[in-house]
Amino acid sequence: MTPETNTITEWLANILGPDFPKNRLTEGYDGEVYVRITDKEFERSIPLLAAYQFSLIGLFGVEEFGVSPGTSLLYVFEKTEHLLILVPGFTSPAPSIARLFSSAAWFERECRDGFGAQFTDAFDTRRLLLHETYPDGFYPLLKSCPNEPIETKLAIEPEEEYPFRTLAGDGVYQVPVGPVHAGVIESGHFRFSVIGERIFNLEVRMFFKHRGIEKLAEGMEAQSGVKIAEAVSGDESMANATAFCIAAERISGIVVPDRAWYLRTILLEMERIISHLGDQAGMLTDIAFPFGASRFAVLREEMMRMNARITGSRFLRGIMKVGGLERDISFEDLNILADFCDLFRGRYRALLRIALTNTSVIDRFTPTGIVSRDLIVPLALSGPTARASGSMNDTRVQHPYGIYDRYIPEVKTLHEGDVLARFTLKAEEIIASLDIIDRLIREMPEGPVSVNAPVADGYSLALVESARGQNMCWLWIRDGKIWRYKVRTASFCNWQAIEHAVQNEILPDFPLINKSFNFSYAGTDL
Amino acid sequence: MVNVFPSLFKKNLTEDVPTRDDEVERIGKALKTEIGSLFGQSLAIRALDTGSDNATEIEINNLSNPYYDVERFGIIFVASPRHADVLLVTGAVTHNMVIAAQKTYEAMPSPKFVVAVGDDACTGGIYRGSYAVMGGVDTILPVDLKIPGNPPTPTEILTGLLALMKRARDRK
Repeated sequence: MTPETNTITEWLANILGPDFPKNRLTEGYDGEVYVRITDKEFERSIPLLAAYQFSLIGLFGVEEFGVSPGTSLLYVFEKTEHLLILVPGFTSPAPSIARLFSSAAWFERECRDGFGAQFTDAFDTRRLLLHETYPDGFYPLLKSCPNEPIETKLAIEPEEEYPFRTLAGDGVYQVPVGPVHAGVIESGHFRFSVIGERIFNLEVRMFFKHRGIEKLAEGMEAQSGVKIAEAVSGDESMANATAFCIAAERISGIVVPDRAWYLRTILLEMERIISHLGDQAGMLTDIAFPFGASRFAVLREEMMRMNARITGSRFLRGIMKVGGLERDISFEDLNILADFCDLFRGRYRALLRIALTNTSVIDRFTPTGIVSRDLIVPLALSGPTARASGSMNDTRVQHPYGIYDRYIPEVKTLHEGDVLARFTLKAEEIIASLDIIDRLIREMPEGPVSVNAPVADGYSLALVESARGQNMCWLWIRDGKIWRYKVRTASFCNWQAIEHAVQNEILPDFPLINKSFNFSYAGTDL
Repeated sequence: MVNVFPSLFKKNLTEDVPTRDDEVERIGKALKTEIGSLFGQSLAIRALDTGSDNATEIEINNLSNPYYDVERFGIIFVASPRHADVLLVTGAVTHNMVIAAQKTYEAMPSPKFVVAVGDDACTGGIYRGSYAVMGGVDTILPVDLKIPGNPPTPTEILTGLLALMKRARDRK
């Protein structure tokens, strides 16, 4: 079915036909190709893109982007290193593509809430970002809607409550969980339909923490936007700030000094290690193996203290800026970090041996919470979630940024797709990150860590690999100010994998399965 | 019958604790004394996230790692607001969380205390004035104490809880 193609030009010829006018194509800074198409061409190309196994990794609205003054929808498709952004000039409401691209279901609902965009033939038209208390006809992402406090309902009637997918049948009952959970966990709702102890269906409801990040950035200068990017998700501060800065730097043609990129990469890998360690500690906590859990937590705490030592923040905040880094990291600190990582590696390996040779750990981890490989493309899954189920994709390799083209990480792939696979994969990624950090410190160049260059107008896509997978950022600077900042973290797409992974599992295994993914609620809700 | 006598002289089975910070120990001991006299040995805390960026949750969770291990000071994180003395709130209050937050507070038995943790919970932080948030926690609940920071470190949260003990004493 899939034709042999190597370049994006050949793909375009396949999808749009060889005679497609070249003047409707624009190449972006990340190799992404913007294609302005008509309704007809859109309808023809969507089934082809699905057949060719493209993933829909983003769909968002932007105002004044096209020839028409209203909201344009940008459809971002990815297949390995190829990135294609369709910009249809719809003359009537857009057709829903959620039947062919499952990831579109949430994207379309997001565009509907934010911009009032309509999609014909959509099977799910419930609200996503804005819950029941928001007024009707309120579309916060439109430019005509100022970012100011609004009045919302203080109580809701039973008939106004969110209509969950309800499943009926003999012995089926519902278990509502959240938004306030039993542990110290972020807010979100899980609606289980259960038969006995077995989970029959799960519907995840997010966006309780929707705090208007995208709108907040609008009108700001690029440099001030960095702190907004850091607030997308606390444990992905560095990844999101990096995506934001890359986009701004690409637009402006800013060449970031090599030393800054070496340091940024060290920090990005440290962030990955800390995130994975937290997941592993959590998984062991959830199967009542506190000895292992507390040991992982000790390593994590020490890594966070190392963060504070070298950057002044346990969450690596306040060090990123457009053009490089706010401050250098001294030779002494880097040496201390190198020594720490050296010791860390041995301690970590010893700990892994303890965890993975424990029969009760293995018994609970496998075969629990399996994500099928078939879900990866339609749901646009990425990161350890996808790689533990057979994906070979890693944004650092497919779309290298900074110095990842010189320091190519080895992509680890496992095929079982269960909790054990995710645990093991994260362990391997931690070791790989330690290797990268070690090499970077040894080969660290001298020189400045930032350039002072003005930020120019323009737009760009930026993709980075956070600990949880691919984070997408699309930034448009107009008249020196942020006009549109779109963020789509890996968690947004990956959350939907959990609905599939828990089916036929028992309810008491849900916390373990959930922790093995450890998606960010904040990064999804924005 | 089992002879327990030799076990009294045996070496401990547990290993040494990895590390303790002097400051954490000092604050912790003071907290333990206060909790002992004011809350009958244990302070039950219920965490509530009204729209944080998750960094604050991570630091609250870190309070339970072996470096801090706050349970030895009498601090426990409870699963239900019905068991809680203190509501530890993180994040600016989003419109989508208002009702859930109020229900959580109402479910707590009196006397109860509300502590806002992190800049966003204290004042609304960077989200102040946004369409999606009400503002700081004090826009919907009576706040007894604010612990600022982006996010505050585990030690800062502990220091804040010690300050709360003084409030509790005044209220008595």
